[in-house]
Amino acid sequence: MYLLSDDSKELLADVKNFCKKEVMEQSKEYDISGEWPAEIYAKAFDMGLQSLEIPEELGGVGLDSVTLSALYEEMAYADAGFATTMACNNLCVKPIMRSGNAEQKKFVADLVLAGKIGAFALTEPMCGSDVGSTKTTAVYDAATDEYVINGRKCFITNAAVASIFYVTASTDKTKGAKGLSGFIVESGTKGLSIGEHENKMGIRLSTTSDVLFEDVRVPAKNLVGKEGDGFKIAMQTLDGARPFVGSLAVGVAKRALDESIAYAKERVTFGKPISKFQALQFMMADMDISIETARQMVVHSLTLLDAGMPFSREAAIAKCYAGDMSVQVALDAIQIMGGFGYSREYPVEKLLRDAKIFQLYEGTNQIQRIVIAGSILR
Amino acid sequence: MEILVCVKQVPDDSVEIKFNEKTGTPVLDGVTPIVNAFDGYALEMATRYKEANGGTITALSIGTEKATDALKNCLAVGADKAFLVSDESFNDSDTLATSYILSKAIAKIEETTGTKFDIIFCGLEATDYSSRQVGAQLAQLLEIGQVTAVLAVDPENKGISVKQETEEGYRMIEASVPCVLTITKPDYDPRYPTMRNKMAARKVDVPVFTAADLGTDASKVGANGSFVKVVRNFAPAKKEAGVKIQEESGEECAAKAVTMMAEAKVI
Repeated sequence: MYLLSDDSKELLADVKNFCKKEVMEQSKEYDISGEWPAEIYAKAFDMGLQSLEIPEELGGVGLDSVTLSALYEEMAYADAGFATTMACNNLCVKPIMRSGNAEQKKFVADLVLAGKIGAFALTEPMCGSDVGSTKTTAVYDAATDEYVINGRKCFITNAAVASIFYVTASTDKTKGAKGLSGFIVESGTKGLSIGEHENKMGIRLSTTSDVLFEDVRVPAKNLVGKEGDGFKIAMQTLDGARPFVGSLAVGVAKRALDESIAYAKERVTFGKPISKFQALQFMMADMDISIETARQMVVHSLTLLDAGMPFSREAAIAKCYAGDMSVQVALDAIQIMGGFGYSREYPVEKLLRDAKIFQLYEGTNQIQRIVIAGSILR
Repeated sequence: MEILVCVKQVPDDSVEIKFNEKTGTPVLDGVTPIVNAFDGYALEMATRYKEANGGTITALSIGTEKATDALKNCLAVGADKAFLVSDESFNDSDTLATSYILSKAIAKIEETTGTKFDIIFCGLEATDYSSRQVGAQLAQLLEIGQVTAVLAVDPENKGISVKQETEEGYRMIEASVPCVLTITKPDYDPRYPTMRNKMAARKVDVPVFTAADLGTDASKVGANGSFVKVVRNFAPAKKEAGVKIQEESGEECAAKAVTMMAEAKVI
């Protein structure tokens, strides 16, 4: 469980109420169709769920990270794709809030508070984890004081619905990672187009697409930080986002446990509910142990983050453990529910498809282990 | 228009509430207190009225300090001001005693703020005890008119035009103000609070009035001032799964129901 202030508990109750009434049941239909549930998102944006990470001084609600985690967990409990949309919007917000200038921060904050969302465009067909190999280029044109961006990004969450992109591109190929820079690019800018949409295994209430840049001109003032800061900003952004991937993974796992408990209490075999069998009780206890352990690791890493202390190792542990845990708990939930768990009539097969992403995105769990190993073998 | 919305904090009725046979009381540990659903409709209707026609909304509740949360939730979705009435002597008040306390609180708020309420919105009933009496009793005590089971309200001349739900359908009523309206479920849901409004509302200090502030007569409040005495609480019998009859017409449904009952040898 989370230790939250009364104010945070109230916010959590509102988010839970919204997700229960507007997302949880409705997500079944969109999970099958893979369509973008515009109506659900419109309601969520009206409520301001996309603006949770906007600082108070820019008109946001100014939440602490542990409260944010509890809110993200609740969203993922209802649907991991829905939560992913919100979290990935904040992947775009984070680097600008951390490294942007006052004008850039206000621009992005106003946009998000008005119900628009952003996308974080980092991954490319030939570079996911290997960010230093980014092929997209941004060339400065002194004549117009603009950067000209060319390249292709892939697996970009929210691309098709975003109003702004935070784009990482190379401004100096000779410097590798140190030649990367970050830019704010508005949707609708000439030369920016959305490519193929991914038909994903899970998180199907989120939208994921290619983004193409063909001589996309952005004003030089859209450069975030300095030229060459792009790699550092991207890594800091992913570091700060990792614990929240853990929050989402915990939400999916908790839902899987709750679904299996509800089933086990109702399902009668050999004259009694299967929840009375110790073999299944032990499974459910183990699921609960791993969920709570993951949650507390997420909270610990976020407590370090908010305290301004080093947290990269802890964030990687939280993301990695929670991601692996979520897949295992979803598998166990299916096992407890037997054939019904394998059926689309029940929600747990969806939870397994959703959970798998947490081992993959925002740094695969192999990358997390590299981060962790790096910190202990220094 | 000056609008008052009376709200009650009740246990969340969307979760199953267990009953303790030994103590004869519902088990409310861990059940979240929420704004009574009908009061939520009342506030939403009042807010829509305010947005269309102007005015100010004040929310009022009787309860413990905890009911402040309910009032702050009202501030997050449309209310401009909120007042809590809280006093141990008010515990165990029946509907008439509650209405009496509300009438005194209304007088106190009007005196404090220097305004007179034009429309007093109440929920049709509270989802905990479902007595449906407070709105009517409040109108009687305030000596003003009332319309019950209201689905919609609009301004009309110097008063209001009200759509009332009846057993057959609905009817339109014109009413002068001030008056009391009890609100039933309209064809829309209450809005969700925005995160920003919610956090702003959480920072508001809600004024609290005690029995001494209101000048209530001790013989008219609490258990002593209540005519209704609760003899016993008990849980409703569990319903068995029913059968849904969906035929083309009412006659065919009735015929099928009779046939089924005959086959079951209950008639």
